[in-house]
Amino acid sequence: MPDLTLTKVAKSFGVNVVLHDLDLHVRDGELFTLLGPSGCGKSTTLWSIAGLHSPDRGTIAFGDRVVFDGGRIDVAPERRNCGVVFQSYAVWPHLSVHDNVAYPLKLRKERRPARAARVREVLELVELAHLEHRYPHELSGGQQQRVALARALAYPPDLLLLDEPFSNLDAKLRERAREWLRALQQRIGVTTVFVTHDQDEALSMSDRIMVMDQGRVRQVGTPEEIYQEPADVFVADFVGTVNVLPGRAAPGANGTAQVWLDGLGLPLVVPAGAGLDGDVRLTVRPERIVVHPSSGAPADAVNVVTVKVRSRAFLGDHYRYVADLGERELVVRTLAPVDHGSELIVELPPDAIRVFGPA
Amino acid sequence: MTVTAEPRPGAAAPGSGRTRRPRRRFVPATAGHYLIWIVTLVVVVGPVVPITLASFWSTPLYRSGGHLTLGNFRDLLTDPAWWSAVGNSAAFAALTTVSSVLFGVGAAVLLTRTNVPFRRLFAGVLILPVMLPGLVLIVGWMAMWAPSGYVSSWLEINTVLWFPVDLYTLPGMALVATTVAAPTVFLFCRTTVLAIDPALEDAARSAGAHPLRALVSVTVPLLRPAVLNSALLVFAVSFEVLGLPLILGFSNDITFVSTYLYDNWINAAPPNQGLVSAGAVFLLLCVSGLLVLRNRLVGDVSRYTTVTGKATGTRVVDLGPVRWPLAAVFATVLGVLVVVPLAGVVMSAFTSILTPYITPWSVLTTANFAAIAGNPIWSESIVNSLLIAGVGGLLATAAIAVVSVVAHRSAFRFRGSLQQAVVWPRMMPGLVTGMAFFWSFAILDPSGAVRGSLWGIGLAFAVRSLALGYGVFYPALAAIGEDLDRAARTSGATWWQASVSVVLRLSAPAMAACFVLLFVSMLNDADPAVFLVTDRTPVMGLTMLQLAATSTGGAVAAFGVIQMVITLAVLAAGRIFLGVRAHA
Ligand SMILES: Nc1ncnc2c1ncn2[C@@H]1O[C@H](COP(=O)(O)OP(=O)(O)OP(=O)(O)O)[C@@H](O)[C@H]1O
Ligand SMILES: [Mg+2]
Repeated sequence: MPDLTLTKVAKSFGVNVVLHDLDLHVRDGELFTLLGPSGCGKSTTLWSIAGLHSPDRGTIAFGDRVVFDGGRIDVAPERRNCGVVFQSYAVWPHLSVHDNVAYPLKLRKERRPARAARVREVLELVELAHLEHRYPHELSGGQQQRVALARALAYPPDLLLLDEPFSNLDAKLRERAREWLRALQQRIGVTTVFVTHDQDEALSMSDRIMVMDQGRVRQVGTPEEIYQEPADVFVADFVGTVNVLPGRAAPGANGTAQVWLDGLGLPLVVPAGAGLDGDVRLTVRPERIVVHPSSGAPADAVNVVTVKVRSRAFLGDHYRYVADLGERELVVRTLAPVDHGSELIVELPPDAIRVFGPA
Repeated sequence: MTVTAEPRPGAAAPGSGRTRRPRRRFVPATAGHYLIWIVTLVVVVGPVVPITLASFWSTPLYRSGGHLTLGNFRDLLTDPAWWSAVGNSAAFAALTTVSSVLFGVGAAVLLTRTNVPFRRLFAGVLILPVMLPGLVLIVGWMAMWAPSGYVSSWLEINTVLWFPVDLYTLPGMALVATTVAAPTVFLFCRTTVLAIDPALEDAARSAGAHPLRALVSVTVPLLRPAVLNSALLVFAVSFEVLGLPLILGFSNDITFVSTYLYDNWINAAPPNQGLVSAGAVFLLLCVSGLLVLRNRLVGDVSRYTTVTGKATGTRVVDLGPVRWPLAAVFATVLGVLVVVPLAGVVMSAFTSILTPYITPWSVLTTANFAAIAGNPIWSESIVNSLLIAGVGGLLATAAIAVVSVVAHRSAFRFRGSLQQAVVWPRMMPGLVTGMAFFWSFAILDPSGAVRGSLWGIGLAFAVRSLALGYGVFYPALAAIGEDLDRAARTSGATWWQASVSVVLRLSAPAMAACFVLLFVSMLNDADPAVFLVTDRTPVMGLTMLQLAATSTGGAVAAFGVIQMVITLAVLAAGRIFLGVRAHA
């Protein structure tokens, strides 16, 4: 399987610039996810890879094979050998499940017995062999989606491109489909680009994730890196929940800084590299905030604040408190309810706090 | 998972190397696109060139000499008779368009998506008139609903009712024209209504809309491209219609644009060719303006994409008790507009005289049919028309399908101009098309071999029918989600393969509808033949027009009956042989 390289790929529709000189490298056999809000250019990127439309500039290469290079090379989609699953599935309504899957093989002049065997094999792979003779309108959404996947895999693709394949499934089915697709992908080892705007999906399935916003790359990394070491506030905020706290920083003792938040009497101590100064934004994940009993926090705890609780919600496996921290809201997550009146004693451990520049 | 431990299906790909790719096509798609584009432009735009030249030339083109002049236009634009003709045509066309759009759209929605009783029967009756030449229907209307007609006289003698419209006035003519035009609108819109994903309405219903409300607020707006296209077509066709004013306008001296041009060509000696050409060019300009307007109004077609890869079925809205009065309204209207005139055609065809004072049974005759069979020109014209309609209809349907797919589903640079090119010829009055082809053949083919053959007439008829077929084909095409052909491309299909195996295959029902309409339209067409016909190539439409002018009502009606039989046979055959299974 080849790897995939995009170099400075740009695309505009009229005056609307959709991709800004995008660079991207997907390794051999990897499941690589494009994650970003709606309209950020994920599908556009995927379609450029598949050859369904031409970028304005840049190069796209599968391994050593350049499939797009400015105006000079533009390999037609049918010669790129990408398996694509569309957001809408695009299962052909006039063909049975079998014929849908057999189509790519027919185009390659595969002989009949070999073709039938291969169709059966991929249909078994997606657990649809028993529905071979049905027509798409006789299938559920999830089954149609698996037909689309089987069709994409029928003639073994160099690259598998999936555009939000689970967007039409219910939550339970979606979770199963994720695990199932991940296992399948690892077993067949096909280099895969997966598009989603669902962070859970991205985190649970991917080898690596690229977070996009408005046609620009914000960060590329493993799910852990993206979650724990977000490159900027956008990534921190888009992937998971985060408290964003603007304030002013001043240098503090031994490699730390002090940050004053609006309306909060005491500064917070944060880890700081070289000379942190001026306006900053802090981020802290709700589950990293420690809640102490009403008897008080241990003496060595830093950044202990008493906050006023505004609301409490029960979310099945955890509780979510919204409290006032100075003039800001602070979201806190706990596993057990901590009910002692309208106040909480919380600790914001310095290693849970990340510091970013001003907006 | 129930799969043998197979690390990569790649290794298991039977009998194939890992790098096998679809065979390369020797002709790249773009070369094919250019060829189609050029042929289309030559056939559609080419014939207009001589006529445009003629409008700016002081003498007829076949005479030597002459010079560039604006005189023809000056004569035309200062002629009060021309302006009154334009006024009449515009008023008539507007009236016809409004009434047929209201009726056609209403019927398309009510008869396909609600539970009005007998809706299949009503739909069948409603589209009957498109199967007949307008001329025959006029004969039927005159026989039954004219002030001295069979049914209107009978009503006055035997009941307190009377027929409120005088056929020999503008509104009367518009009423007759609506009978023919409403089914066109109906057919355009029904294709779209059937293609609309019920999930779209379900979405509105889940937002709190009553089922009927959902139908009106979701489905009806999605009909906009179909309504605009059909309204424009109806307007243009009504604007140029020749038979109706020639026969009904005569007694009150109501001139239309077509009869003005006809008079200045046929009844003027020598034919006022410069003036007629100038009139034609004037019309073409108006019509191009209309097209630009349509494009503005329709906007981006992909907004109306309603069929995606997710397959679903059609659902029916329950109207409750209201459906019974609605059915009564449909029955009355269709009875008056369609059933009675058609009965008039049949009765005139099989009687020697039709009046309320004599029982039709006593004057039954087959003499009208015997007259057709006995007249070699008349019977030959039927065979010729069948040939033109059958062969021409097939070729034209194929052409429309291919051109539409290039125009709407390719990355071809000039696809926009193709979209205009197919609609445009319909805007030319049939007389002008005939004249344009006449001059083009005269210049390009002095031997007269093409002009003297059925191919010449067939080509003119086909070009004129392009817009009609496109109007049926295009909404169905627009409704096929583009992901479906993209999926074929990424599966390894070339543009042509994807177009044939997915797009054209999915639009097969629309192609069948397109062929039936083209067949009927070409079987009936008359106007362009006025200039192209020879003694060896009579066609049915023109023979009937000439007959109607000499007012042998019975023979025209007999022609109409023959036509009806042929068309019903074609329809039935279409159902059986082209009928596409429900899941496609
Ligand atoms: N054919 C087009 N013409 C004009 N603009 C387009 C076209 N296709 C996409 N765009 C614009 O490009 C941007 C990116 O679109 P794209 O489909 O790549 O988004 P996406 O990230 O896939 O979003 P989603 O998650 O909603 O599918 C959007 O702002 C969209 O408006
Ligand atoms: Mg998308």
